Amino acid sequence: MASRMDELDASEHYTKESEDAAPVLLNIILDTNPIAWAYLSDTLPLPKVVAALLVFINAHLAFNQANKISVIASHVDRAEFLYPTITPSEVQSNEANEMDTVMQNARNGHDTAADDANFYRPFATIASSLNDALRKLFAKTPPSALSNSTTALAGAMTLALAHANKLIVELTPDRSTNPAVITSSALTAPTALHSRILVLSASPASPHQYIPLMNAIFASARLSIPIDVLALTPTSSTFLQQASSTTNGIFLTLQYPHGLLQTLLQAFLPSLPSRGYLVPATQSAVDFRAACFCHRKVVDVGYVCSICLSIFCEPPEGAICFTCGTKLRLQDYGKKPVVTVRKKKRKRQEGDNGVATPSGRMTPAA
Amino acid sequence: MPAADSDDEYIQTISDEEGDAHRVSNGRRRGDRSTGGRGRNVRAAGFEVSRTWEALEEGVDGTISGAIEGLLDATKRKRATKDTTPFQRGIIRHLILILDLSEAMLEKDLRPSRHLLTLHYAQDFVREYFEQNPISQLGIVGMLDGKAERISDMSGNPEEHVSALQAWRDKQPSGNPSLQNALDMARGALFHAPSHGTREVLVIFGAIYTVDPGDIHDTIKALVLANITCTVVGLSAEVAICRTLVTKTNPSMNPQLAYSVALDETHYRELFMAATTPPPIAAANHQPERDDTGGTLLQMGFPSRIVTPYPSLCACHSQVTRDGYLCPRCNSKACSLPSECRVCGFTLILSTHLARSYHHLFPLLNWYEVTWNMARSQSPSQKHCFACQTSFPEIPTEQSLAEAESRKKKASGLAAAKQPTAVVGRSEQAGTRVLNSSSRPQATHIEGISESGRYGCPTCQTHFCIDCDVFSHAETHNCPGCLAKVGLDHGYGDSDGMDIDASSITKPNGIGNKMTDKDVYGDILKGLEKLLVGVS
Ligand SMILES: [Zn+2]
Ligand SMILES: [Zn+2]
Ligand SMILES: [Zn+2]
Ligand SMILES: [Zn+2]
Ligand SMILES: [Zn+2]
Ligand SMILES: [Zn+2]
Repeated sequence: MASRMDELDASEHYTKESEDAAPVLLNIILDTNPIAWAYLSDTLPLPKVVAALLVFINAHLAFNQANKISVIASHVDRAEFLYPTITPSEVQSNEANEMDTVMQNARNGHDTAADDANFYRPFATIASSLNDALRKLFAKTPPSALSNSTTALAGAMTLALAHANKLIVELTPDRSTNPAVITSSALTAPTALHSRILVLSASPASPHQYIPLMNAIFASARLSIPIDVLALTPTSSTFLQQASSTTNGIFLTLQYPHGLLQTLLQAFLPSLPSRGYLVPATQSAVDFRAACFCHRKVVDVGYVCSICLSIFCEPPEGAICFTCGTKLRLQDYGKKPVVTVRKKKRKRQEGDNGVATPSGRMTPAA
Repeated sequence: MPAADSDDEYIQTISDEEGDAHRVSNGRRRGDRSTGGRGRNVRAAGFEVSRTWEALEEGVDGTISGAIEGLLDATKRKRATKDTTPFQRGIIRHLILILDLSEAMLEKDLRPSRHLLTLHYAQDFVREYFEQNPISQLGIVGMLDGKAERISDMSGNPEEHVSALQAWRDKQPSGNPSLQNALDMARGALFHAPSHGTREVLVIFGAIYTVDPGDIHDTIKALVLANITCTVVGLSAEVAICRTLVTKTNPSMNPQLAYSVALDETHYRELFMAATTPPPIAAANHQPERDDTGGTLLQMGFPSRIVTPYPSLCACHSQVTRDGYLCPRCNSKACSLPSECRVCGFTLILSTHLARSYHHLFPLLNWYEVTWNMARSQSPSQKHCFACQTSFPEIPTEQSLAEAESRKKKASGLAAAKQPTAVVGRSEQAGTRVLNSSSRPQATHIEGISESGRYGCPTCQTHFCIDCDVFSHAETHNCPGCLAKVGLDHGYGDSDGMDIDASSITKPNGIGNKMTDKDVYGDILKGLEKLLVGVS
């Protein structure tokens, strides 16, 4: 506490202010798995979630004129931007910026929301284009895709990161620098863009995506982009827990479906700088146990191939790693190192007393 | 919160890069002085030293602005384009970093001074090393006053090394360097390194001499016997003994890669940071006494993070904490990972630490440059970068392309006819590259840069912009296209051994009953429509 007081006294007001004023890009990844939503339809229907999400988005945009938003669907067969979207009208006029596109889209579209005089226009455009995109997304999903019980979460995260990176690159004055420099300057420059990711998850992440998902998580950790997770179903995903804990994000399981909006606004709206002054609502115990590659058993003691780092729950058959095909030597873990050394010494002494072999004497030197 | 998370150190790794600010480099002067074989050629081939203006050609639109941007982009992309052969890499590494702290480091030819720049880069190196090799060990040794001095002990904690390096900022480099003493100390420190990891020494050598107490060739022989590989980054000029050291200890590695002399600050950083990538395990592992497999099965513990209502002491520092990780074997508490259990000696690690290295094992393929013709034939409908949605430049018509081509041919034909000798001379100077456009099929083509501003993934054939290309290869190691497009069928699933049958994926209870194909959509669509009405 004392240190925080000192910090405040040390006339850091200017930097504090500018930090707070930096625009925030909020990337929302919405799990649109139809099966999961059908499962949830009694307690938490998707339209209700979208409505709550829209209020949340509006609150975020109202915080700062320059705040930005992107919504990405993590669908069963694809990951796709729901907002901002590329529409045919934009393809014709490449120069049109985001807002124009959306407005054109709204005008061409069949809804009247954007023309309502009582509705703040940017909010209305987001609402209508998000709904449009969602409807299109569901309409073009082939029934065969329903056999997937999981969604393209890793793809959605990669898209979100690439999008955030592009915006940061564009906002950084020196554009010729390499990505590492860009990230460091984005952290220090007062006008830079802060970014974070919010995942609304309704279905478990597939172990198939483990590696790309981990790659995305580490990339966002390096870029200081926290991944917040709101799990809508109690079947919480280990990967998403690890994602938020690795990136200093917030992980919450939705307890009361009716309190969705409340949860969103209270836990996930505060920006990164202001989170330092709040008690985080995250859960702090994290399941870091690994799943073995052979049976997907969750283990807390495992065997790791030193070549490819595959995890096994027991030494694989014939001591051959079936990921990389290397023949592995089993390290003898039954004995403690001290014991082994003593045994060797004793043997050597016996050797010296008996038949002294030159190789035996050479060993300690080599 | 931060104290509870062992991954914090990785998040806060990005430090300022004052070194890169000195981009207007004195590369040429140093290049002349240096005798470094590889460095010189590379630099001469790069656009910075070669005559950049001669590489400029009119773009299809008749301006050169595209070409200038292209040159900048080329450097960007060069960093990201890597060797993607899935080598078996030595991921569990044991490395001793030997820093020259002798008088030679007072030179100011690298700004602000060799000493300060080296300490600065060394800190970056430490952070990057542990980022890339999370379960590896590192130790730092300094050479000064004719002796070797231990800067930090062999350990897996980046913060220890960084603070040890920071302490050296205030001290002045002094005396003569002794390579032999430093190598002997490194050999001692690596002696106990287990056989499943690599044993490496990286020497940063500023001086052009070494003052040794004995025969350094004996030390080199001992290093070879101990399977220690040495690489050297020189700061002044190539030194014969370093060349010998490198050739003897790296029989299978390209000696030019193992020993190079830095030309300027940026080049120095590149050479230094190159050592953070895990080395490929040489096919001919020169270690007859080890069996030729090289692999070992390691037993490790994966503890979960716990938070207790009452604080207790951690086994590692005897500090009072509420959170920590319990050793799965003996239940003693460690406060940060990766570490070894203080009580039973078990290796404790987070599964995420292992995952951090997976991208070395399954690297992302380099993307190809898309020509105008390819852009037209492959995906004429894709007018935006798939990942960030920036629009691509318009694809020119075939006619205008042909016109531009013929215009260029004429121009270069004239130039070649006028000064044939000059062209030859220049191409010899440049070493590997011939700038004369008539000998190259595509005149506007700058190496590594796509004329259409598009880069295509060979797996999913999706096109991306240059920023997303660089970002995907340097940071995420994921292809957004492969993962986002009907993503679950592509690439990763088969190659990584994570393949398991779909039945074992857990489904939320009762999902099967709820699912009646079309109804799912019907309900959702109806709901959305209702919502829209509500909005308006
Ligand atoms: Zn298993
Ligand atoms: Zn393996
Ligand atoms: Zn401790
Ligand atoms: Zn233990
Ligand atoms: Zn892009
Ligand atoms: Zn791809």
